[in-house]
Amino acid sequence: MTLPRPEIAPPRPWHFPRVARGQLSNGTALHSYHLPGQQIIVAHLVLEVPLSAEPRSREGVATITGRCLDEGTRQHGGVEFAELLETEGAGFGIDVGLSGLQAVLDVPARRLDRAFELFAEAVIAPALAAEDVDRGVQLRLAEIEQGRVNSASRAGTEFRRAVYAPGSRAARRSGGEPDTVGEVTAADVAAFHTERFGPARTTLIVAGDLTGVDLDSLTERVFGGWRNDDQQVCDPRPVRPAAPAAVLIDRPGAVQADLRLGGFGVDRNDPRWADLTVAGYAMGGAFLSRLNKVLREERGYTYGVRLVFNPLRSGGSYAVQGSFRTDVLVEAVSQARLLLEVADHPFDADEVNDAVSYLTGVSPLRFATAAGVAAQAGSQVLAGLRPDYLDQSLAALREVTPASATQAYQSVVALDAASLVVVGDADVLAEPLRALGYPDLVVVEN
Amino acid sequence: MPVPASSITTSPITAYPIHRHKLNNGLEVIASPDHGAPSVAVNLWYNVGSRHEQPGRTGFAHLFEHVMFQGSANVASGQHIGLLQAAGASVNATTWFDRTNYFETLPTGGLELALWLEADRLGSLPEALTIENLDNQREVVKEEKRQRYDNVPYGDAMRRLIELTFPTDHPYGHTVIGSMADLDAATVDDVKAFFATYYQPNNAVLSIVGDCSPETAFATAERYFGALPAGPEPPAADADPLPPLTGLPADETSADVPADAVYFTWRLPPTGTREFDAIDLGLTVLGQGQTSRLYRRLVRNDELAESVSAASMGLIGGTSFGLAYARVRDGVGLERLHDAVLTEVDRLVAESVSEVELRRAKAQFERHWLHELARIDSRADALGEFTTLHKDPARMNARLGEIDAVTLDDVSTALRDRLATTYRSTLRYRRAGRDIGEG
Repeated sequence: MTLPRPEIAPPRPWHFPRVARGQLSNGTALHSYHLPGQQIIVAHLVLEVPLSAEPRSREGVATITGRCLDEGTRQHGGVEFAELLETEGAGFGIDVGLSGLQAVLDVPARRLDRAFELFAEAVIAPALAAEDVDRGVQLRLAEIEQGRVNSASRAGTEFRRAVYAPGSRAARRSGGEPDTVGEVTAADVAAFHTERFGPARTTLIVAGDLTGVDLDSLTERVFGGWRNDDQQVCDPRPVRPAAPAAVLIDRPGAVQADLRLGGFGVDRNDPRWADLTVAGYAMGGAFLSRLNKVLREERGYTYGVRLVFNPLRSGGSYAVQGSFRTDVLVEAVSQARLLLEVADHPFDADEVNDAVSYLTGVSPLRFATAAGVAAQAGSQVLAGLRPDYLDQSLAALREVTPASATQAYQSVVALDAASLVVVGDADVLAEPLRALGYPDLVVVEN
Repeated sequence: MPVPASSITTSPITAYPIHRHKLNNGLEVIASPDHGAPSVAVNLWYNVGSRHEQPGRTGFAHLFEHVMFQGSANVASGQHIGLLQAAGASVNATTWFDRTNYFETLPTGGLELALWLEADRLGSLPEALTIENLDNQREVVKEEKRQRYDNVPYGDAMRRLIELTFPTDHPYGHTVIGSMADLDAATVDDVKAFFATYYQPNNAVLSIVGDCSPETAFATAERYFGALPAGPEPPAADADPLPPLTGLPADETSADVPADAVYFTWRLPPTGTREFDAIDLGLTVLGQGQTSRLYRRLVRNDELAESVSAASMGLIGGTSFGLAYARVRDGVGLERLHDAVLTEVDRLVAESVSEVELRRAKAQFERHWLHELARIDSRADALGEFTTLHKDPARMNARLGEIDAVTLDDVSTALRDRLATTYRSTLRYRRAGRDIGEG
C-alpha cells in the first residue's frame, strides 16, 4: 500500500533575530543578537573602510594589515598572542570586501571574557612587525599564484576584470594584484592601520546565547577606550560597468572549461532586487532550474550550473557559472544563451511560488546560529542596509509576480551587453566560440 | 612560553536531548527536539560507503547516491529535490568511505513530505531506474570528477596518498569517486543488485532533529517506513586493523602546479577509540593553526613553506588515515622542506606534546565541536554517525568529555606507536618543467 503524497502544512511565522542596538562611549555602534541555546558567541567588528581607501600603488595593504592583526600585539608579541587566543579556545579571522573589513571572533560562551580582551587587543594595538608584514606579502603572492592555475578561481578573477570598469577597484583582486601587494611594506601597513582603524563608522556585532553576559559592560571595558584622532573616513565609490568583452584564458589540455557569462547588475537596495532573486532562482538557482535541468539533468554536460547575482554596496554583477567538459563547452554556451532568453518563455506562477517557498523556507536554518546571524548582520552594515533588512526582503519576495520577475530579469540580464569569460583549452575552443557569436574573442595565455 | 593558565576550569558539556526507537523492520530512528526555529532536519545514514565496494565495481556507492535522485515509483526523475526545494528545503547527499547520507532541512510543515519521499525511494527505486537515467548520471559523475579532481592543481594527490597507504584490494584502497572504467561497465542490473544488497531499512539510521517532538518523529517514521520489509543482513566489509606501513612506500609525480609539495601519510587506529583521539590531538599540535609546530617552524621561522597542515581522517574499518603536508615557499628545494617536516614529526614522536599544547588542542576541538552541533542539520548528521558507526547516539553528547579525558600519556604512547619514523609513506608532488635538482 502506498500512501498519497502528503500536503505541506504552511510554515510557522519566522523573523530574523531582533537586534538590540547600543553605542560605546567612543561612538562605536553595538548590535547584539541574543540567540538562546547557541553556545558559540560570534563577534564581527565591522570597519566601513572601502578598498578604494587603499593607495593605488599599494592595493592589498588592507588584506595584509588584516592578516597581521593576530600575528602579535604590542602587549603580546610574536606567536605568544596566537597561543593565548587558541588556548582560550577562540578563533580569529579577517574578512576583506570591497566596502569594508571585518575582524571576526568566535568562542564558546564560557570563554567569552578573556577572548574578547584579546580580540580588542588585536584590532586596536597590533604589533604589525616588519617580518610579519613581509611574510604576509610573500604568502599573499603565493596565494595569487595558486589562484592563477586554479581554473574556477581564475575565471572569477577574469570575470570581474571583464565586467567592472577598467581602473575601478572592483575590477581588481580584493587582496591586491602582484605588482601592488608585492610593494607593501611595514610602513604602509602601519599607516593604513593608523589612518583607517578607529571607532568612527565602526560597528561591533555580537551574536549568541548572551544569558548572564553583561555585554554593555564587557564591550565598553575592552573597546570603549579606543580612540584614534588620526582616523580618516571615506565613502565607498560607486562601481561602473565595463564595455562587454569576450576572453578565453588558455589552459592547454584542460579536461574542462570554466564558464562565466554575465554582466553588470544591481545591489540589494534596488527596487527590483526581490524580483531578480526570484528570477535568478528559477533560471539558475534551483536544482531543476531552467539551466541545470537541461545542462546537467538532461544532457549531462556539467556537475552543476548556476545563475548567480553578486550584489555590491552599489551596483553588482550577475553570471552564469559552471564547469563543462571541453568538448561540450561551446554547445553549453549556445544552450545557455537560448535558455537565458525569456521573452517567449516568461517566468510562470509555479516557478515564482517555488522560488518564494524555497527562499523563505531556508532562512530559519541559515540564521539559526550565531555565525549565520553575525555574518548576515555584518554584510548588511557594509551594504548600507538596515538591521531589519532581511524581514523586509522576505516580505518583498512574497509580493513578486511572474510579470514583475520577468520584467526585472529582462531589464538586467541582457545578452548583447554580457561578457564571456572561458578558462579552457584554446586550441579546441577559440574558433567555435568566435563562430558562435564572439568574433572579438581575445585569447590570453595563462 | 609565558602562557598563563586558562581561567576556565570546568569541563565542557553538551546536553542535547536524544531519543531512540527501532521500527520492526530494523530502521533505527533518532529524535532530538529543538524548537529554537520552525525547521526540522531529516538525515538518513545508510551503512554503505566505498569500503563496501568490490574490485571492478569502484565508485558504485557514489554513483548510486546520484541515482537515488532519479525517481522512484511515485516520484519523477529530479522531483525528489524539486518537491523538497519547493517546500523550502536545503537538500543534498554525500558519499564517503564508510557511509552514504541523504538529508534535507525544511520548515516543519514539510516533515511528512520529506519522509514520504525518502521512504518511496527506499521502497521502490528499482521500479523507476532506466538505462537513460543511469547513463545521464554516469556523465554527471564524470563531470564531478573532472571538476573536483582532474582539473584542479594537486587534484590527484588524495588518490595517490590513499593508494600509498592501503593495499589495492583493501576496502580503503580506492577513492570514493572510484574508477571511471568501472562506472562505464555498470549495468542497470548491477545498480539494482547494489540497491537490493545495501538499501534496506535495517541498514539505515533516520535522524529527525528540530521542531518536532520525539512522539511525532517516531509516529511519522512508522507511518512512512513501517510497511517496508526488512532485508537480508548486508555483508560486512573487512575491518581487520592493518599493521603500520613498512618499507617507506613512496610516490612522485609532476604536474602544472605552482609550487612543489610533499605529503606524508600514516595508518592510524579506527575512529571512536581513545587512541585515535590521542593521535588526532597530536596531529592538531603538529599542523593545525598558526601556533602549530609545522606552521611556526616552516612558515613563520624558517620561511621554507607557504602552506602546511597535519590532520587525521577517522575511519571505522580497523584503520584510519593520517596526513601531514607542506608546500614550498618560492625558491626553496623540496628535499629541504621534506627533511624539515620529517624533523618536526620525529620531534613530536620523541618529545610528544606539552601540557599547554594539549590544552590548546582540546580547546580548539571544543570550539569546532560546538560549531558543528550548533545547526540542527549537522546535529542530525552527527547522530546518524554515532548510531551507525558506534551504535550509540549518546556518544554525541559524550564527545567533549572523551576528548577532555585524553591524557599526555595517551598522546605520547599513541604517537610512538603510530607515527614512528619508519611508519610513513611519502608523496613528492613537483611542478612540471622544474629541475629535480635542489636549491
